Amino acid sequence: MRPILLSGHERALTQVKYNPDGDIIFSVSKDHVVCAWFSHNGERLGTYHGHQGALWTVDVDPTSSLLATGGADNTMRLWEVKTGKLLKTWEFATSIKRVEFSSDGKLLLGVTEKRSGHLSTIVVYEINPDPAAEQTDEQALRIVCDESKATVAGFSYLSHYIISGHEDGSVSQWDAKTGELLFSTQVHEDDMQITDLQWAPDRTYFITASKDKTAKLVAADSLDVLKSYPTDTPLNSAAITPVKDYVILGGGQAAMDVTTTSARQGKFEARFYHKIFMEEIGRVRGHFGPLNYVAVHPQGLGYCSGGEDGYVRVHHFDKPYFDFMYEVEREQAQAQANL
Amino acid sequence: QDLAKKNTANKAVVDARRRMLQEWLAWRESMRQMLEEEGAEIELNAGRVKQDTDDEVEEVE
Repeated sequence: MRPILLSGHERALTQVKYNPDGDIIFSVSKDHVVCAWFSHNGERLGTYHGHQGALWTVDVDPTSSLLATGGADNTMRLWEVKTGKLLKTWEFATSIKRVEFSSDGKLLLGVTEKRSGHLSTIVVYEINPDPAAEQTDEQALRIVCDESKATVAGFSYLSHYIISGHEDGSVSQWDAKTGELLFSTQVHEDDMQITDLQWAPDRTYFITASKDKTAKLVAADSLDVLKSYPTDTPLNSAAITPVKDYVILGGGQAAMDVTTTSARQGKFEARFYHKIFMEEIGRVRGHFGPLNYVAVHPQGLGYCSGGEDGYVRVHHFDKPYFDFMYEVEREQAQAQANL
Repeated sequence: QDLAKKNTANKAVVDARRRMLQEWLAWRESMRQMLEEEGAEIELNAGRVKQDTDDEVEEVE
C-alpha cells in the first residue's frame, strides 16, 4: 500500500474530500488555496483562487459540478468544479468552519464560528445545481446554537435532520425543514470538542471524532451510540469505509501540546478499527504532524489523509485489505452464500 | 479488552463477536427497510445520485 504524496500546499491541511466517483480529491489548507488532484496518480489538475484567509472546509456536490468552501475570511463560496470559476460568495460575521451538501445536492449548509457578539450558527441555502444559474442570497434556514457552539454539521438521510457536533462534546438533532431542536445528547466527554462528523453512505448513521480520544458511531434518528472506538490520542477526524466494515481515525497531539516532540510520541498514524467489533486492526504511519482529516474513497478503494505537515497522503488499498475477515464474518459470508 | 486483542480468541470472544455481527446486520436491515418505506433512492444507492441525462435529452428535443 505505497502512498502517493500530494505536495502543493504550503501550510497545514484542514480538510480533504473525494468526489462521488472517487477519481478526484479536493483539499483545503491554511494557505488559502483549494486544490484538485487526480486520486490515481496524484497529479494536480487545478486550483481555485479567491479566498483571503485560511480555509477550513470543502465539499463537492453529488454530480461533481459544484464545489463549496469556507474559511477564515468569513465567506462561504461556491465554485464550478470544471472551470474553477467562482459562482457565489456568501459573507458572514465570522469564519465558516464546515460546509456540507445534502445527499441530493439541493441544500448546502455552513457552520459559522462563535466570536464575541456572535453566536455560532448553522445556515442553509437552497442550491441550483446548474453552474450557470444565479444562486440565492436568501437563507432557507438559520439555526442559532446558543448552548454550545457547533463545530461540525451535516444532513441526514433524505435531509430529514441536520445533525451537529459541538464544542462541549454533545450532538444535536434538528428538524432540517423548521430548524427546531429535536434532541440533544452528550456523546463525548464533557467539554471535549467534537472535531469531525462523517456519514455512512446511506446517512442513517455517522461517526464523530473528539478531543476526548474516542470516536463514536451514532444512529441519525435515535442518536444512540452504536459503537465506541477508544484511542490514546486526541482525534481530529474519523471516517467510515464502505465495502469493508472498518473505520479510520486520525489525530495526534499537536507539537505545541507535547513537551518532547517526535513523530512517535505524537502518534501521527491513521488507525483502522473494525467498525462492528470495535477492535484496532492496524495503523498507517507517514505524516510528520497530526492528521487533521481522513477521507475514504466513496467506493472503498482507498483513503487519503491531510496533515498538519502540509501533505496529503493517498493510499490505495491492496488485496490483503479486502481479503481480511474475522472468523465470524467468514461464517456469515458462507451462510449467505449457501442461501 | 486485552483478551479480545489476542489472536487466540477463546469461545467467549468469538461468541461475543458473533452476537455483535448479528445485531449489526439486524439493525442495518431495519434501516434498509425504513429507507425503502421512505422511498430514499439516493440513500439506497449508497449515497450516489443516479446521473440523469435528462438535460441533454431535452436539448435534442
